Amino acid sequence: MDEIINPSKDQDYSERLAAQVRECYSANMGLEAAEIPRPHLVVGGNGSRVALGLPGDATLAIGAHRGVIDYQPEELTLRARAGTPLSELEALLIEHNQSFAAEIPQPCATSTLGGAIASGWDGPSRAFGMALRDSLLGCRLINGRGEIVNFGGQVMKNVAGYDLARLQVGALGTLGAILDVTLRLQPRTEHMASVSFEVPRDELGRWWRRTRELRPLLTGTCYLDGRLHLRISGRAVAVQDLITQLGGDTADFDWASLANLQLPFFCGERLACVHLPRYAQIPVRAGQALIEWEGARVWVRDGDHHALAREAADLGGFVQVLRGPVISVQADAPEWHRALRDALDPQGLFNPVLFRSRFYSSADPSGRLGQGVGH
Amino acid sequence: MTQCEDSSMQAFLAALRSVFPGERLLCGRENTSPFECDALPVYCQEPLAVALAHSEHDVVAAVRLCHEFGVPLVSRGAGTGLSAGAKPLAQGLLLVTAPMNRILDLDPHAMTARVQPGVINQQISTAAAPHGLYYAPDPSSQIACSIGGNVAENAGGVHCLKYGVTVQNVLSARVVSAAAGHVGEVLTLGGDCLSQPGYDLLALVHGSEGGLGVITEVTVKLTPLPEKTHTLMADFDSVRTAADAVSAIVRAGVIPAALEMMDKLAISATEAFCHAGYNLEAAAILLIDLDGHPLEVDAELAVVEQVLSASGAVQVQLATDTLQRARWWKGRKSAFPAIGRLSPDYYCIDGTVPRHRIGEVLEATARFADQYRLRVANVFHAGDGNLHPIIMFDGSEPDALERTEKLAADILEYCISVGGTITGEHGVGIEKINQMAVQFTDAELEQFRAIKRALDPFQLLNPDKQIPTLARCQEYRALRHARG
Repeated sequence: MDEIINPSKDQDYSERLAAQVRECYSANMGLEAAEIPRPHLVVGGNGSRVALGLPGDATLAIGAHRGVIDYQPEELTLRARAGTPLSELEALLIEHNQSFAAEIPQPCATSTLGGAIASGWDGPSRAFGMALRDSLLGCRLINGRGEIVNFGGQVMKNVAGYDLARLQVGALGTLGAILDVTLRLQPRTEHMASVSFEVPRDELGRWWRRTRELRPLLTGTCYLDGRLHLRISGRAVAVQDLITQLGGDTADFDWASLANLQLPFFCGERLACVHLPRYAQIPVRAGQALIEWEGARVWVRDGDHHALAREAADLGGFVQVLRGPVISVQADAPEWHRALRDALDPQGLFNPVLFRSRFYSSADPSGRLGQGVGH
Repeated sequence: MTQCEDSSMQAFLAALRSVFPGERLLCGRENTSPFECDALPVYCQEPLAVALAHSEHDVVAAVRLCHEFGVPLVSRGAGTGLSAGAKPLAQGLLLVTAPMNRILDLDPHAMTARVQPGVINQQISTAAAPHGLYYAPDPSSQIACSIGGNVAENAGGVHCLKYGVTVQNVLSARVVSAAAGHVGEVLTLGGDCLSQPGYDLLALVHGSEGGLGVITEVTVKLTPLPEKTHTLMADFDSVRTAADAVSAIVRAGVIPAALEMMDKLAISATEAFCHAGYNLEAAAILLIDLDGHPLEVDAELAVVEQVLSASGAVQVQLATDTLQRARWWKGRKSAFPAIGRLSPDYYCIDGTVPRHRIGEVLEATARFADQYRLRVANVFHAGDGNLHPIIMFDGSEPDALERTEKLAADILEYCISVGGTITGEHGVGIEKINQMAVQFTDAELEQFRAIKRALDPFQLLNPDKQIPTLARCQEYRALRHARG
């Protein structure tokens, strides 16, 4: 560890990080199974996504492992180290008139590429365009044995072996430490415009029927304080034509602040994100909710999280809490979660606390929580 | 039904028969021969028995019985796969989900369809069409392939450049597990929400080639039919210029819905087969679909026409009506059977490379083909960089299959060397299992094996395919080394 880490310079720390994992792996080898606490690693970047579930202070710190590895504009792919700030990558893409194929939120200027993948958080365009998980072409990571392994690739389609790259999206670093990522890009949108309408809450359902007709130019919907904002993007001639047809108010709306959760709305003491099947409606007080994705993602400020969780579950949805009383959600197939974790990280080195709180509740040692229907 | 000779398996077959009565359980070569291979018929095997599943209950029962009796199970849908992934095992059960062919629910409002795994890909689009919707992934075999197989292989198609492959278009799946202590349990992976808690298990099942679970139900996303589509055909006098034009289109900021290429041999085979209207003088043609909002499509048409002429296209035609468009695409989609008429046997490969390396890889393919004295036709998804060299051979010649396999290996390994992959959409199966040892390191392959052991610890589901054993890898690498 004689090299000085300079966090603003492009550096490849793959080997050093892998050595740190191997050290922790060895430290666990001599321990009895029941011995706790065991040495483990908190995998993290620059700590800008704590509300989204990622750790603040990392002991396996990826933030300094940064820099673009390969960018070929005509291939529409970008490969960069996990610690690279998204803001730098975006600036590079703009120079070449390109953008990420998925809309990737950046809670702050230091938010990293690796953190985006680990949190798996999608922006307003998710309901209309490409999901982050689908824009990931490949990733290289350190597994729980300290080995550097590479899955997926830098080509548009790849079905060689299991898709262990996509599996990292939203895994919060519990299935490996992401070293670098290849993402799919797209030509930069020629033109974007916003249009808004005064819409009473009970008429939203009717609007969602209408917005289907606005595809493929519709790339965002946001209902806030009695106004429905639509984002229209595409070739200038088509966007202008549609805006004229729609009428409404053409005032700007800050879609980036919506994506990055920086609108004043998100400042409540309690903040929950309710995921619902498309067109389901959850009862919330006026002024308390921000509705995206044609009703499929509802943000609730200062609500009763337990009541929300019950209502969401009744509708086939679930609640993710960003601030305030935590609701734990056990996904279907807990036994698959545990088995996959053991396969990628046999000693449970990576973010073990997150694994237990977010993916596999050890409160039920039989692993039979919330399993699917048996026959 | 009494021809099953293996006495040690009589109890297993008797138990199966109580679930699969009458002609739903097939034994003996005369009954099982239609199921001996998928659409890569050079690899055939008579199975112990074939069971035709009519319900999720049947699938669960088969998985449980196979576990109880220690019999491996290969699941398959319509059998249109091209990598021998659905090749039966001699001592295994072949479970066919093709009879589970009902569309259970189609919700035009939510734009989803819930279907059984045996539903044919194109039937979903047919059912959705009255609502102005369709199912976007369209493999060339879409009139025959089933959605369960599409998920298992993560199938692509000609319109995947813009609309994504199967995994991008599936919302949830019901899957029968083989995990320890949970064999035969049905899991729901994914769901009706656009985001799900937990790991992305739905993505993991896509492309797992029937090795991690058996799919019993799929909910797919439907897409609004494009308001307008332009189809262009551009002729080129060399393969290289056509390949370079592909990159130029993308560089110009256009992502076509489809961007396909055919070389001279493929053009002549298809033209003879279905009179698509291709130029027989061209060394290569590009078929391009631009779809979407009418004004956007018109703007992109102007860009693409200009790029094509600047890239050296000899002739650029715009389809004048839907009939002409359908004819051009019918030619493309019939390329495999068309080539099948010219050659007693054919073998299609699936390497995928960065777009700007396509020309180079096609030239290398032609060189390799000469070395092995074989003919290769190329018809492929150029926009994705997904090549489909089709090797034509005569299996009755003593060493023809061996030469074909060697040529295929050389082409795939060349694809790896230029930063590509051995398979973009057909899967590894048996066909490409050796090249897995070239594309991946030992640590990576061992990681795959660990995943397999985690979810299928008894090696019940389609064992010994897709992921090579360590011994097989070492053997193949030694062989390559010796060949130099």
